[in-house]
Amino acid sequence: MPINKRKGILFLTAIALSLSTQAVVAQDNPIDNVTPVTDEMLLNPPDGDWLMWRRTYDGWGYSPLDQINKENVGDLRLAWSWAMTPGRTQETPLAHDGIVYIQNSDAVIQALDGATGDLIWEYEYDLPDDAAIRGVRNKAIYDDKLIIATRHAHLFALDTKTGDLIWDKTVANYRHGFGFSSGPIVANGVIIQGMTGCSRAQPGGCFFTGHDVNTGEELWRVHTIARGDTPEGNSWNGVPLESRYGASAWMAGSYDSEQNLFFAGVGQVYPWNIEMAGLVPPSSDPGVTNEALYTNATLAIDASTGELKWYFQHLETDSLDLDYVFERMLIDLPVDGEERKMTVTVGKIGIIEALDRFTGEYLWDVETVPQNVVLSIDPDTGDKTINPDVIPVIGETTFNCPADPGGKSWQATAYSPRTQALYLPLVEFCSNTTVNPLDPGEIYTGGGRQTYSRVPVPDSDGNIGRVDAINLNDRSTMWSYRQRPPITSSTLPTGGGLVFVGSLDRKFMAFDDETGEKLWESGRLTNSLESFPITYTANGKQYVAITANFASGLGRLASLTPEVRLPSNDPIALYVFALPD
Amino acid sequence: MPALFTFLCIASRFLALAVLLAGLSPHPGSAEEPEFFFKPFAPNHWAFGRRLDESQLRYCVDRRDPDWEVAAAIADAVASALLLEPQQYMVEKNFVAEDITKVYALLVEHCDMHLGFKLIPGGYSQWATLTRPYYEAEYIFVASDPNIGSLGDLPSGRPIGATLGTSAHVRLVSYVSALPARDRWPVHPKGTNDLALESLLDGSADVALIWAPTLWAKQRTEPAFSELRRIDPRPLPPTALGVGAMMLRDETFLRTAIDEAIAALIADGTISDILDDYRFPATAKR
Repeated sequence: MPINKRKGILFLTAIALSLSTQAVVAQDNPIDNVTPVTDEMLLNPPDGDWLMWRRTYDGWGYSPLDQINKENVGDLRLAWSWAMTPGRTQETPLAHDGIVYIQNSDAVIQALDGATGDLIWEYEYDLPDDAAIRGVRNKAIYDDKLIIATRHAHLFALDTKTGDLIWDKTVANYRHGFGFSSGPIVANGVIIQGMTGCSRAQPGGCFFTGHDVNTGEELWRVHTIARGDTPEGNSWNGVPLESRYGASAWMAGSYDSEQNLFFAGVGQVYPWNIEMAGLVPPSSDPGVTNEALYTNATLAIDASTGELKWYFQHLETDSLDLDYVFERMLIDLPVDGEERKMTVTVGKIGIIEALDRFTGEYLWDVETVPQNVVLSIDPDTGDKTINPDVIPVIGETTFNCPADPGGKSWQATAYSPRTQALYLPLVEFCSNTTVNPLDPGEIYTGGGRQTYSRVPVPDSDGNIGRVDAINLNDRSTMWSYRQRPPITSSTLPTGGGLVFVGSLDRKFMAFDDETGEKLWESGRLTNSLESFPITYTANGKQYVAITANFASGLGRLASLTPEVRLPSNDPIALYVFALPD
Repeated sequence: MPALFTFLCIASRFLALAVLLAGLSPHPGSAEEPEFFFKPFAPNHWAFGRRLDESQLRYCVDRRDPDWEVAAAIADAVASALLLEPQQYMVEKNFVAEDITKVYALLVEHCDMHLGFKLIPGGYSQWATLTRPYYEAEYIFVASDPNIGSLGDLPSGRPIGATLGTSAHVRLVSYVSALPARDRWPVHPKGTNDLALESLLDGSADVALIWAPTLWAKQRTEPAFSELRRIDPRPLPPTALGVGAMMLRDETFLRTAIDEAIAALIADGTISDILDDYRFPATAKR
């Protein structure tokens, strides 16, 4: 039975106050000051709030707060911390009116006083016994509702003030593999949620769904594997829909209110080996192609109707698990002297790619980490020439850079309007890739039928972690910071001229956004920092928060840095930093 | 020095096993581990320690495995051979497919060995080890059309529904890729053995490639599958795999004892008798 513990907490607090022998002045509960989140607030969030995954609809991950800045960041101190349920997660806290909302790996949702870390309420979702105990990357807030996605493919809404359950909807059957690893955004009053886990248990691929924010009812569904007798539907080499797998929508997206369009990415084919997936050898049928749409594509979806307006496939017939599923940043800057409204993304190959977000037209690209997958990109169309030597072949071992977790992975890139620069969390590594049968049990399997022996890049100096700052005016590298431990968190640029980021070796760092000089570094925290840092205000004071956790994302690279030891019991804790009063 | 002698015996066996596996593995070394295997997690796994009752052999079988009854009978026989009391933990879950690291949680909490895992070189992570195989079974081609007696009888262009990612699937797609385009069969991946078999019933495939015990289990319980027949795999050779039990790698002493028990039960015909009793499509190879 779901439990709301706010009443109990308040009751115990009341007893404690009544037993006190000292005069007690009743304090306002900060939750009482929480206001409804309106459409206007989502379009233009208060500076001190963090109301959605990347804070703003444009997916920048940028905060204008500047109390903590280049001059004083050296004084940053731990303000408070909060232990979360041990396990695996990649948490993005939300902050609204000084309250911090977090989702534990066991679907316990908590509201904390953002100034003190005191627990205000918690809600324990009644997960089935066989549901995965694992966190979800983000959540959404709208009106008086905190909207949560779960690993067992449910969406539910809690009252932001009380933690009471408002509604709960099943979106798909988790026992067929469906589940949510990321949460929703709310755009134009519609909850938009991507589905993942569409691998061997469930043919036909994944989907995005739109839901009524007041009831959770499904309004529309967009399938991520093209179907029907269309050029897109015939792009699977003649493999019928019942034998098409993959195309997970495992990251949240962005929203352009001018067009009422939602932008998000789609993952790769499953199994990764395209011989096993039936995509090669190519069919001799002239009406059939094998690029496997809409895998590794940007989709532009009408937020109200679910109509697919356009798509752009960044990597066709992917055989290396090199998703193009990550954040889409909506940025307006001149391109060749003409102001363009762009959507910008970075796939696992680490190539920054910009599209016109009205047409899907390809605009430009910038390479970052060492890679040998893409030999060239057509500057007009964005079509990529893939290095044939990296495509895995049964019976051979091939060498590809980056390896499957990606030179850039789910850790989000951020954009700062202050510097008009992207800040990318990156890693440098390669893989010896071998096609293997991986059918050890009837139910249990592992991997996508390829194993990746991850190795340093040729002639590596030993550094694997990297943060790049790319100026989008001339697309030059402003600075590049490199270190041996992998960078494992998203980046957080702020109005204070700082870029915060975390790494596998349990350190949270702040860089000068213009020079890349490291200005501050935390002490070692409890675990690797594989999450999404945020900043917010409570009682007018700025705080910076990050979850320390192992998420087996880029933490997999621990095999390349065995000297980085992490605790075996998978502790998770929220750390909140501030300047001294 | 009996303790030292025992240790050296076990160590020498592990050394021999390591050499054998190194020879079988395409790329020896820990760095090749599949990503999901790297660091398993189970809720509260640090809370489970050494069990207290060592007179029991705790084993897991999974009702979703087609061979679970046979596997349980073999596990009971292994326990008996070791003079231990068998304690069965039946995995009752409804997931169609799961990540193999879920077995880690079962082994930590419920059982010393989980039956039903194929011996695939390089297919397991450092946290897991497999016993020696207690039987060997085949991936088989299945058809409903009586005119198809072997894979070679299937006209080119007709679809095969193949359980994806299996050793036999790898062999099949390699063979098909080597054929001239006009001679190929479309090979449609199917996420599970059940889906591959169902593709025969719904007519979307003419031949299915599945694990033999799945057809055996289906035909025991579901009349719809009774007309399906195993066909000759030629021109491909048979694909057979040994099946053993998965254990945590640090259970070295128990694993050695279980291996010895399995060898003895194969040698004295006990496991063959169990397979025969169930008319199970497998052999107990010495």
